[in-house]
Amino acid sequence: MIENERVITTTCAPHCGGGCLLKAHVKDGVITRIETDDDQDDVQLRACMRGRSWRQRIYHPDRLKHPMKRVGPRGSGRFERITWDKALDTIAAELKRTVDTYGPASIVHWVSGGDQAALHDGWRRMSRIFCMMGGYTRPWGLHSYEGGIFAELTCFGMGFTAHTRDDLLNSKLIIMWGWNPAVTIQDTNTAWYLAQAKEHGTKIISIDPRFTASASAFAHHWIPIRPGTDAAALIAMANVMVTENLQEQAFLDKFTIGFDAFKDYILGDEDGVAKTPEWAEAITGIPTDTIRKLAREYATTKPAALITGIGPGRTAYGEQYHRAAIVLAAMTGNIGKSGGSCGGKSWGPHALGRMGSGPKIPPNKVDDTVPNPEGKLPNRRYYIWGHGIINVFRLTDAFIKGKSGGYPADYRFLWVTNANPLNQWPNTNKTVEAFNKLDFIVTEEHFMTPTARYADIVLPTTTFFERTDVTMSASCPVSYAYRREIIEPVGESRAPMDFATDLANRLGFTDYNDKTDEEWVDVILQKSPLPDVEGFKERGFQKIDLPEPSVPFRAQIADPENNPFYTPSGKIEVHSQMIADMNLPHCPPIPKYIEPWESPSDPLAERYPLQLITTHTGRRAHTQFDNVPWLRELDPHAIRINRIDAEARGIKDSDAVKVFNDRGTMIIPAKIVETIMPGVVDLPQGAWYYPDDNGVDRGGCANVLTIDRPSPGGALPSNTALVQVERA
Amino acid sequence: MQLAFFFDQTRCTGCYTCVVACKDWHDVPAGPASWMRVATIERGKYPHPFVAFLSTPCYHCDEPACVPACPVDAISKRHQDGIVVVNGDACLGKDTCQLCLDACPYQAPQFGAEDNAKMQKCDLCLERWSEGKKPVCVEGCPMRALDAGPIDEMEAKYGKIHEAEGLKYDERLHPSVIYKPKPRVSLASY
Repeated sequence: MIENERVITTTCAPHCGGGCLLKAHVKDGVITRIETDDDQDDVQLRACMRGRSWRQRIYHPDRLKHPMKRVGPRGSGRFERITWDKALDTIAAELKRTVDTYGPASIVHWVSGGDQAALHDGWRRMSRIFCMMGGYTRPWGLHSYEGGIFAELTCFGMGFTAHTRDDLLNSKLIIMWGWNPAVTIQDTNTAWYLAQAKEHGTKIISIDPRFTASASAFAHHWIPIRPGTDAAALIAMANVMVTENLQEQAFLDKFTIGFDAFKDYILGDEDGVAKTPEWAEAITGIPTDTIRKLAREYATTKPAALITGIGPGRTAYGEQYHRAAIVLAAMTGNIGKSGGSCGGKSWGPHALGRMGSGPKIPPNKVDDTVPNPEGKLPNRRYYIWGHGIINVFRLTDAFIKGKSGGYPADYRFLWVTNANPLNQWPNTNKTVEAFNKLDFIVTEEHFMTPTARYADIVLPTTTFFERTDVTMSASCPVSYAYRREIIEPVGESRAPMDFATDLANRLGFTDYNDKTDEEWVDVILQKSPLPDVEGFKERGFQKIDLPEPSVPFRAQIADPENNPFYTPSGKIEVHSQMIADMNLPHCPPIPKYIEPWESPSDPLAERYPLQLITTHTGRRAHTQFDNVPWLRELDPHAIRINRIDAEARGIKDSDAVKVFNDRGTMIIPAKIVETIMPGVVDLPQGAWYYPDDNGVDRGGCANVLTIDRPSPGGALPSNTALVQVERA
Repeated sequence: MQLAFFFDQTRCTGCYTCVVACKDWHDVPAGPASWMRVATIERGKYPHPFVAFLSTPCYHCDEPACVPACPVDAISKRHQDGIVVVNGDACLGKDTCQLCLDACPYQAPQFGAEDNAKMQKCDLCLERWSEGKKPVCVEGCPMRALDAGPIDEMEAKYGKIHEAEGLKYDERLHPSVIYKPKPRVSLASY
């Protein structure tokens, strides 16, 4: 250790579902190195390359150091430095003007998970200000896994259904369905537990259009599947089980309702089409024998964990995939059992820590103006991002059309927190049009991101190294982190609660915040189960080991009389009356395969014959870290295309290619691989949008090509898009 | 005594954490110099691809080819732990020499992007050992696929396999590395 150097523990604030421990070496007020967990007594929470790269993000030459005001057209990138006083005065005046002129519903707050913590996290602190002003428009829904939420809320009535990952060691069979945790993390150590499961002899099968890093490292078999057809494969597996009488009928009788209706559908009694493996082969590209074998193996290996990644749910009718998987988990009796899985979405840990929260939020009166938003489940508000009156994927359309399009208001003012919506909302070119409709946009940022380039005022915020906060971290073991201020804020960047308080004062809310950050941390921790708060703060971290793996629905299965499921019937709802009552088009009360729009048999496929999927790369967390040099050099951005498709187009490796459809065009390098299905191309999402003078994106932002049309159950179809690829 | 690396190739997911942790710890900027590298080995054709990863530091060979290759004796092998170290001040620089790189079959000698960059490379985090710590890549690997220690201890713990997918053991140099190699089989159709 270097002289005068201190080592301070904190945790990464990523957007990956992990919660990894970082140890910052600090000398003369500067972070010089970062190590990770070296705990010798408990499971280590080791950070990935992103966590290890924070120094290049904190001290990046492009880090925003002053408030900036736009002086050129939106997107031009022309800004001038202003003072905090000028920035907050301008914002306060604009907020007042907007509310006075157009009403509170014209204010929209968009917040995502870019910087999660209990106090400085964006939603609560800004919500409090907007609600003090009379309310604001907030969207409901999650880009990541709304289809999975829909399935869990209708089948189970709750949405935190992932076992702690140590329970993978109790499985005899693990089916990674569209699940690639070696890259997507979904809790620290998930991949490490998969490796150990394989070493213990657990059979692992990957179903995925790509031969992923997880498939390569852990799987015994890879079954390629056409994007958007996952529900068909699962339903055909159900057909095999019923035809061969492999289902656990006693489990179905005891714990579910509506299975007979599903059975009628899969056997063809309902519509004359038996959902056989032959039926599914034509749709999915999976050979019939493979579907049969997989169905038999899943039905007869106990316990088995069918882990359904959330990528396949980000498709047109993606909610059907998630609902079908839950029904299969019920048919095999794997729900509520150690080593099993309820078939719910792969992310949403059942084991969670507990702590209080920051400042209270007054009721949002704008929420009351639309009591039953279209397409929103009645119990949706009980799950995260469940309040609000517009589906997130309708926001661009709502900004453009407002009341004339049937939306509840005309939208004028957008505040963006911990998010990069211009880049990450579907259909980027339409989002640009939508942003240009707005009077005023504010974003809080570390960098001049694509969203920031369209903002009127950009506020420079601190990273979590530069302020004090507390957070719940990983879930296996359940962890808590005290994130103390390790270094002074970079430049004039300010902690979010700090400038929010200043803004509230300008709006006349002098009672907005009566505590220091340290006092807030103590208030928040009062509601935690931590036995020794002072010791915790001294150490900076606390792991709580559970006596056994956390398994959702254990109690419901062990003692159903006293522990009904959280559904209206108290059972697992294969048939959901809640869905039937909503009467949504293409959203049946039992899970069905519905052919997606922009499938290979769509007439559009003549012009755009390739199916685009927009996956994750380990060197970004969505758009975060995209500008970090240590990471950029490791996985250069490119569209992945199978050799067969590349040869048919005369494309060589690293060639610049034009990728396009009716929604947009980009030019980026091609990477020719054997690890993706022919007919499918993969563009990792999160690269920053950089249009040239002709509107052609040179950054390779995947959403230039995606559609802003929500699935009936609310899923974002970012993996449902037809494109063409040509040599540029 | 000779320190050696162990690498479990069956566990590696190609996540590059070792690469970034190393660059952070040793303050190596983005660019051509990387003391730890991860190679991707791809074989086979769709639908039977084979992918393996190989973490590639310096193997601190028993008979390092770089040491005699250096015309100014800038590279030496430490007696106490077998770590091969370079004295950058003495190095002639990449524009003049690069004989060490020519000699090494594993491309362990690294050069930055700057003019006449001096050779730099993995030093097995030699200053960490004195604090009872293993190399930063070893302690950082999320898959616990890396280890390092005296070669006899490593062999006793992990066996004596010295080759892996993507690495051929050089019988002249005796690289100080032990592997759990990934079997070269494409996944069978299900």
